[in-house]
Amino acid sequence: MYLYDDIDRRMLADRAQEFRAQCARRLAGEITEDQFKPLRLMNGLYLQLHAYMLRVAIPYGTLSADQLRALAHVARTYDKGYGHFTTRTNLQLHWIKLRDAPDILDHLAEVGLHAIQTSGNCIRNLTADPYAGAAGDEVDDSRVWAEVIRQWSTFHPEFSYLPRKFKIAVTASPTDRAATRIYDIGLRLYRDADGELAFEVGVGGGLGRLPYIGAVIRERLPVRHLLSYLQAILRVYNLHGRRDNIHKARIKVLVASLGPEEFARQVEAEWEASDKPAVDLPHSELARIRAGFMPTGFEALPAVSRRFEAAKADSRALARFARHNLAPHKQPGYAIVHVSLKAIGETPGDCSADQMDLVADLADRYSHGEIRVAYEQNLILPHVKLDDVPEVHAALDAAGLATPNIALISDIIACPGLDYCALANARAIPVAQDIARRFADPEFAERIGELKIKISGCINACGHHHVGHIGILGVDKKGEEYYQLSLGGSGEGDASIAQILGPAVPAARVAPFIDDLVGVYLAERREGERFLDTVRRTGLAPFKAAAYADAH
Amino acid sequence: MLRVLTANRLIDGEVVFWSGQDWVESFARALVFEDDDSAGSAEAEAKTEVTRLVDPYLIEVMEMGGRFAPVSFRERLRALGPTNKLDHGKQAAGGADIAILAQAQGAARSKGRVDLIRRK
Repeated sequence: MYLYDDIDRRMLADRAQEFRAQCARRLAGEITEDQFKPLRLMNGLYLQLHAYMLRVAIPYGTLSADQLRALAHVARTYDKGYGHFTTRTNLQLHWIKLRDAPDILDHLAEVGLHAIQTSGNCIRNLTADPYAGAAGDEVDDSRVWAEVIRQWSTFHPEFSYLPRKFKIAVTASPTDRAATRIYDIGLRLYRDADGELAFEVGVGGGLGRLPYIGAVIRERLPVRHLLSYLQAILRVYNLHGRRDNIHKARIKVLVASLGPEEFARQVEAEWEASDKPAVDLPHSELARIRAGFMPTGFEALPAVSRRFEAAKADSRALARFARHNLAPHKQPGYAIVHVSLKAIGETPGDCSADQMDLVADLADRYSHGEIRVAYEQNLILPHVKLDDVPEVHAALDAAGLATPNIALISDIIACPGLDYCALANARAIPVAQDIARRFADPEFAERIGELKIKISGCINACGHHHVGHIGILGVDKKGEEYYQLSLGGSGEGDASIAQILGPAVPAARVAPFIDDLVGVYLAERREGERFLDTVRRTGLAPFKAAAYADAH
Repeated sequence: MLRVLTANRLIDGEVVFWSGQDWVESFARALVFEDDDSAGSAEAEAKTEVTRLVDPYLIEVMEMGGRFAPVSFRERLRALGPTNKLDHGKQAAGGADIAILAQAQGAARSKGRVDLIRRK
């Protein structure tokens, strides 16, 4: 894993010290709330419904076992013993006290964690492929490039006060596991015809009030020019992005209003005029960063583990877990293991301090000390020997972390919603819990197959409802919680924005409604079709007819 | 219109209510204002308590069998805690005051909170 150097460590310690002084001044009345609020937000500290919420950055979703233990310690000592992993692969602590925040930042800094750039109109924490370094289909480790961008963008003076927040995602695989098309900038790394690494650069994706799939403005960017090209994009946005209307301030609105071609033309002109070598990363520095991500310690193993195969033959639970929670590893004899944070009836993305400690211990014993956070609000042990999967499964299962439901109907994304969030209009968590309970039978869930339900408690779309196979948006209808359903969205390589199915329904009707939609799918589907494929083939009509049958 | 004055406490973010004498954590101890003038002046006074409070505002409440409950669902959540973890937040204390809030029906927009969001 990449390790922070002395400069990084000093920077984090200084930042924590600075925030301690800012908190003291606020508590003493030397600065007002209006003056303090931007300072606390720059350190990830929000005031939510019941308490302060601290959003801890997990750069490109990668954690060491020690870092996860530190998060467990903070959750246990300063919160109520749990944390909530988000669709931005961050960890949110919902019950933080302002008086404890400086101590928490100190603890985090000791293990190279922080909350910098998790809020505010800056370049936010980076996301990357959660399988990076383990995926058989990747052309490179996407975290190398995410780390390059992290170092360049951290405290970048020119881009600290952009018109609005700015999010960048990187993938290096033909299968997009980082939802790059719904990002302000989505970078897709590939090998060109000459075998050279290049980026396809997408710009202007985003959800919220105005959902857009990003447009490709450059099909081939040589990797050595990554930073100068990002600078050009950010400069065009910084200059022309709207600052008069918060709802139109994201880059997606600028790209849409100029048109991707004109936006690209302006970026290219800015790029050509810029001093590229002054910004682009020297080869030596790239090599230094890359060295931090070099794979180490893999054993030469047979592709098939007899031990694992025998254990699967003995245990239906393990076999089911293997079917849904394991992904192929690039190294023969290893697997990528998903830790489900979607136990039936629990809060999606929540993880107790004890569970964090357990996953950290498993990572140390079985996964090279590494953990990943996936934007679907699950954890991943990226480097597990097939021989060890039975032990890992047993330990996870005992802690409620082995629900065999990855990408199935109960693997639901849900934002904190009105239960915690000051912006939400409706709750998201109880709706997810209702649906998961309704489809708790693992055999039925398996028969339904891949089905991604995503729930947001307001139009800001932290729960990615626009790109759910089934998207659910909580709305406030004359003060009551209602839910608007949409179908046919995807945040992956085949990205699309879901279409609204019909009038919003009250909370109690959502789960039965999903039942109706699943019924239509099972009746309509053709061989090999996922729910999403069937929706795309048939359109909304049969689903609408069944779900709203009572209304006619 | 019946109203209660609420805020978050600066030092820990806890939801608090004005009791007439002090800022208290329990909604049941909140002072219910019956007229606009006294509610307005209490709110104005609260806004000066900048080292104790963040974002004080008035919420509408309704009478329920001799007790009171916030009219809006959002404010009842603030007075109780999250519905996914009933052992967290103020509701963990249990008792009759909590039971009344948990049973309250009717969900209306929290005007005070909407105004706050709009102002931000």
